[in-house]
Amino acid sequence: MSESLTEFKHSQPLSLGVELELQLLSQRDYDLTRGATDLLGSMKYDGRFGEIKLEITESMIEVSTLARTTADGIASDLEGLRQTLVSQCAQNNIAICGGGTHPFHSWPERRICPSERFDAFYDRYGYLAKQFTVFGQHIHVGCTSADQAIWLTQALGPYVPIFIALSAASPFVDGVDTFFQSARLNAVSAFPLSGQCPELNDWADFVEHFSFLKSCGIVTSIKDLYWDIRPKPEFGTVEIRVCDTPLTVGLATALAALAQCLSRFLLRTRPEFNTRQQLYVARYNKFQACRYGFDAMLSDPVRRQQIPLKEVLVELLDLISEDAEELGCTAWLDQIKDAVDNKTSDANWLRGRHAIHKGLNDVVRESAQRFANMFNMAAEDEKR
Amino acid sequence: MLSEGILLARSGWEAIQERLFFLPPFPDQLDSLALFSLLLVIGLLVGEWLRAHLGWPKVIGYVLAGTLFGPSFLGWISIEALAQIRPVADAALGLLMLEIGRRLNLRWLFHNKDLLRATFGDIALSFLFIFFFAYLVVGLTPAWAAAAAAVTMASAPAVVLITVEEASAQGQVTERIILHTALGSAAAFIVFAIVLGVVHAENSHDWLNAVVHPLWVGIGAQAIAWLIARLALLVANLLPKKSLAQVFTLVATALLAVGVARMLAVPVFLTLFMMGAMLALIDTNKSLSYTNLPDGHWLLAIILFVVVGASLPWQDFTWLVAAQALGLLVVRALAKIAAQAWAGGNLPLVKRLLVGVGIQPLSATAVFMAYELAGLYPEIGRSALTLPLFAAAIMDLAGPALCRLALVRAGETKKGSNGGIV
Repeated sequence: MSESLTEFKHSQPLSLGVELELQLLSQRDYDLTRGATDLLGSMKYDGRFGEIKLEITESMIEVSTLARTTADGIASDLEGLRQTLVSQCAQNNIAICGGGTHPFHSWPERRICPSERFDAFYDRYGYLAKQFTVFGQHIHVGCTSADQAIWLTQALGPYVPIFIALSAASPFVDGVDTFFQSARLNAVSAFPLSGQCPELNDWADFVEHFSFLKSCGIVTSIKDLYWDIRPKPEFGTVEIRVCDTPLTVGLATALAALAQCLSRFLLRTRPEFNTRQQLYVARYNKFQACRYGFDAMLSDPVRRQQIPLKEVLVELLDLISEDAEELGCTAWLDQIKDAVDNKTSDANWLRGRHAIHKGLNDVVRESAQRFANMFNMAAEDEKR
Repeated sequence: MLSEGILLARSGWEAIQERLFFLPPFPDQLDSLALFSLLLVIGLLVGEWLRAHLGWPKVIGYVLAGTLFGPSFLGWISIEALAQIRPVADAALGLLMLEIGRRLNLRWLFHNKDLLRATFGDIALSFLFIFFFAYLVVGLTPAWAAAAAAVTMASAPAVVLITVEEASAQGQVTERIILHTALGSAAAFIVFAIVLGVVHAENSHDWLNAVVHPLWVGIGAQAIAWLIARLALLVANLLPKKSLAQVFTLVATALLAVGVARMLAVPVFLTLFMMGAMLALIDTNKSLSYTNLPDGHWLLAIILFVVVGASLPWQDFTWLVAAQALGLLVVRALAKIAAQAWAGGNLPLVKRLLVGVGIQPLSATAVFMAYELAGLYPEIGRSALTLPLFAAAIMDLAGPALCRLALVRAGETKKGSNGGIV
């Protein structure tokens, strides 16, 4: 075993865990505010729904659910964490919301959280660390063995654009419409070790690859690998890292359900795939999904043609319906089907609200209301 | 030496005037615009120098400039010039009061009841500690001891706002300093009105006025604030959010509030503070919430602190008064820190204590309140109010530094924010 690469912890097959990075906002103008350390310091919370912890800058907070076997379990944890945070933030005069980027914050204003790890990160990456004030959802899927984790990491690779399109919630950066559905991943791709997992056959291959990178002085721990999908040995999981944090915990759960059903389908059917060929088109497909969302055109390196992402997604939802039924995820996948049919992504919702308000402060305010489940009530109040 | 120079210039001027018909009479007073510019430049220079060389908050520099060039020392800013520039200082303080009112989120108090307790603790302990100190130790009459307490009990909104902006501070300590400063100031205005009534009754035995005046002040300020805040929102709703037109609307309605308050003899600063608080409370559509005051109001704030510095009564300095003022500040500091330590809510104790330190400033509102009272009762007021005025004089220099210290220690300031006007 390579040094600083922990042993792969075997976990319950297809168990789930979700991490969400959330935005801390000023109640006054809905710009990002510094408050994570004080928020955590003043919090009365017993950890019953999972962890609440600091992220790289003071304007972010991260929540992670407990390991659960069902999507319903994840939904219940996320709802508990959401309620806890909304109430604790209100006590500190802070609002909180999802979304992949803050639409108009000024990154030089961001403050790195006090911690040795974050200081080292800032020291290493300079301004990229502050620009990394973007907000993502990570989904963990439990694997029974290290080899299975490596296999699943590669097998999930071609579906990265699907997760990007479904979760896209970052159309605005620096106060302007980027024309992207998910602009968040552009901030991630600035890091030298971002991208795709290379072609690996098994855990031994991965250990060898990691040792190689380590001996070249490129990595010190697995946390240095910013791959779109990576194995997480200490949890015994495969971690999907490309999703924007959705505006609601409902969609976050639906994405976790999709990951669980898809993983079951892949492990059950063990389809053939060619990682080397996929790697040639991976960046292009990722760009398409980030830029166009549901309207992306994906490149298929096997059939050597372009296919609309929507078509791939509809086909996939059909393919995994049996797995969804087995796992009790049908209702969650129906939510995704509705979103695909009506093209109702969070990015489109944000653009729609911007078209109404002509200002981004109100867009963020309403995002916070959505996160707090207060959006409809607030909209009715305004009408009155 | 300055007067000799002026005399010489006058005689020379008058000699030429006989030949040059277009020359106006020798200008005895500096034009108000020229005075405004000079005060601005002097304040800026001293403030920037202290900031750059000693790392002090710029506000201290502005106050020092006023003190140095004011009637107490060099006399370059005369008492007449001070009266001339006073409306600009009033406007500056008024706009800062409006701004601190706008930053008051009353809903926060409903979500965090500890804050209510801390606010009441701060207001009650500050008033009582100062009152008993002034009454028992200094020996003022109960009415004038209460007046001294009313004038000095609250923190200084202008100093706090400028220090927070200058340091780009953000965080829980900053938020709580602003909240307690805003609420404490509002309470001080109300207590001041009540005390004014009591002082009046004690001097003239007219209890009707003693009762009705505070009501007039409180209800009047609230009514004007509500009406004009509604008007501001009505107009703002017709305009694009954050537009220049909305900025003008905000300033124009604030000036309207000043005018109406003056017409009805209601305290201008209380009215503007309440207008700001109303705007924050009733603007559910956020029509005007994201619209900031023009940057120019920071320039007005420099004039404000130069005027405050020049208004401080250093000519009345005695060691006894200085010791009494220091004593007052010590009991006031104890009251504020104790209130935060005892009832400061869910923050760790160290941060609660820092909130207590951050709300120590005492400045413009206190000085202006004291002069208002002294103006009403010149025969008694001046001597009785020397104590709070001296306390303000000391705190005008120490207050901004304490507020900044609290923000820095809390780790809520932007590192390396040097140079430039706030």
